[in-house]
Amino acid sequence: MPFFNVIRWVAWKDLISEVRSRETISSMFFFALIVILVFSFSFSMDQAAARELIAGIIWVAFAFTGIIGLGKSFSAELQNDCLEHLQISPASKGAIYLGKLAANLLFMLIVEVILFPMFVIFFNLDVVEELPLLLLIFVLATLGLSTVGTLFSAMTVQIRAREVMLPILLLPLAVPVMIAAVEATRGALHGDPLSLYGNWLQLLAVFDIVFTVLSFWAFEWILDS
Amino acid sequence: MIGSMIKWMQRYEGWVGAGGGLCILAGLYLGLVVSPPDYYQGEVVRIMYVHVPLVQTAMLAYATLFVGSLWYLWKRDPIVDNLCHAAAGISAFLTALGLITGSIWAKPTWNTWWTWDARLVSFAVMFLILAGYLMLRTFIDDPEREARYAAVFAIVGFVDLPIVHFSVEWWRTLHQPLSFSMRGVSMSKDMLIPLGVMTVGFSLMFFYMVMIRTQMLYLDHLLAAKKGRLLSRVHLSSDVGSSPSSLSTP
Amino acid sequence: MIAIRGWDLGKSYGHYRVFEGLSFEVAAGECYALFGPNGAGKTTLLRILATLYRPTAGRFEIVGRDGVAEKEAARAALLFLAHGSYLYDELNATENLRFALALRSVTPAHHQIKSALDRVSIGAFGDLKVRYYSAGMKKRLSIAKAMLIRPQVLLLDEPYTSLDESGMSLMNRYITDSLKEGAAVLMTTHDRVRSAEVTHRLGVLDKGQLRQFTVDELKTHAIF
Repeated sequence: MPFFNVIRWVAWKDLISEVRSRETISSMFFFALIVILVFSFSFSMDQAAARELIAGIIWVAFAFTGIIGLGKSFSAELQNDCLEHLQISPASKGAIYLGKLAANLLFMLIVEVILFPMFVIFFNLDVVEELPLLLLIFVLATLGLSTVGTLFSAMTVQIRAREVMLPILLLPLAVPVMIAAVEATRGALHGDPLSLYGNWLQLLAVFDIVFTVLSFWAFEWILDS
Repeated sequence: MIGSMIKWMQRYEGWVGAGGGLCILAGLYLGLVVSPPDYYQGEVVRIMYVHVPLVQTAMLAYATLFVGSLWYLWKRDPIVDNLCHAAAGISAFLTALGLITGSIWAKPTWNTWWTWDARLVSFAVMFLILAGYLMLRTFIDDPEREARYAAVFAIVGFVDLPIVHFSVEWWRTLHQPLSFSMRGVSMSKDMLIPLGVMTVGFSLMFFYMVMIRTQMLYLDHLLAAKKGRLLSRVHLSSDVGSSPSSLSTP
Repeated sequence: MIAIRGWDLGKSYGHYRVFEGLSFEVAAGECYALFGPNGAGKTTLLRILATLYRPTAGRFEIVGRDGVAEKEAARAALLFLAHGSYLYDELNATENLRFALALRSVTPAHHQIKSALDRVSIGAFGDLKVRYYSAGMKKRLSIAKAMLIRPQVLLLDEPYTSLDESGMSLMNRYITDSLKEGAAVLMTTHDRVRSAEVTHRLGVLDKGQLRQFTVDELKTHAIF
């Protein structure tokens, strides 16, 4: 089916370009490390304080790192006017969106999965039993950031002040994702039973569905002449 | 379509504006002079007659922006885009005023300038979304793209706001225990009438402002187009220099 | 069959009007070369026909499909070879071709790609990342892409730039082959000599006006 073919090819193209150039993931990773470092020095945290704040610190780091990746997703298309190529291509714009979304989601998840052990080490967290749940939270929340983030990345790539416009547009809309991600992560790290914070996962799932559909529809208006 | 909406606005703007003005004057009189002070809050409650209508009207303004954005994407009518731009600017202004009046009301009432209440936070997020909308419009140069992108952003933002409200509400029930109570206002009929009148007045004023501002934006674009025609006439008819590939008939 | 048709096309950027009232036709199997001084709007016109820009006045059709209302169908029928090569630096030639073709729902066999690359004489560089290609090699790769897509309408923006002698001959051979297969070609160019080998009609866009001639008129009139 040509629709799924396009999704596969767009995602594959982004992934293989990243594997060969190793630009995006490495810059995201080191940026996140620096964020962690700055936070560690900003708050003088004992064990108890760390436990309270760590979920928030994790998601601030992930959000800002994610924005870097989302920005690169479409600024990479500016080389050789490839963005134009996508604009005039007869391929379904929705398929292009889903391909980009898949690649962005994967990049962000890879960085998060590499970073999280650093958090565990630096802040002495105890997480073994909660790992699958934490992974689920990461996937749902990262998807939430990526759905609207991919759309806005396409929107801002050709405008002035593009690096700052993406976070300005994205972060207010991502408030529910951030709140839910932090609360769910905190619950999981505390070892609370799922019933206590399961509603946050539901919120993330609803957000993901609503905004994937909305961005899928809206993408055609953005990536067009 | 191009002319009729503008003509309609020109016809009725006076009525809308006058109606709004009258309602506001009436509401101010009723609210500030006639209505009773609140049992708990005293005279301070009178700021409610300005704050609440501001908030309602700001939300009405965003709803107008939302509907206008959908309309623009459907019909691609540039005057509808002017309407959206106007509604967004006024909405941002009203939202800012709403936040400020809310803060002024909060300090004597709850002894704090700000609280992380669901309505306040989602209202603040609405302001950020509108500010982002206006910045987006400023930074895009191509007018057609500007209209399209802005419409999409307004729609996505509008869908998001209820979700923001919910999430902050849930968060608050977790982190703000009931000991911190925010007593509301016990509403008597004497308060509802001025409030209603003020709300109607502010809404009419909003419509008036949107009508005026839409026409202003339309005239701006018209002026640019006429300027373009004038400048192009110079470009298209200049005989300065003879280009190598210009033709000469035998 | 008229493959490209424009009625009263105009384009303005707010203050600035590039051109207006342009009407023209290009039939299937015909090549039309567009000349004009720098800044006249040749590329702008081409980009409108490629559905990259919207005209501010008038309308156009690609193979009978309206360029604005039936954009998708128009895009499926045309191929635009622009200044930008539309290539990804980190991918090699084969991968770039497969990607571009996948966007057009075409899945070529391996031997088809190999033969296209050979015909444009970059077969030896098939596995090299495009980042290392010269501008001329990128142009040749674009020709290979066009050979595999076989569009009904070819829009070429200064097709001879960056190409060496053999490259320019290759371009003309490709244009001739496409014309024989019934494609319509519209190109903007400054190269009168090379384009004269393939073109049937030409136009000059200057000061917002389009003056059109056939090649026979070239012989009788002192045009340039």
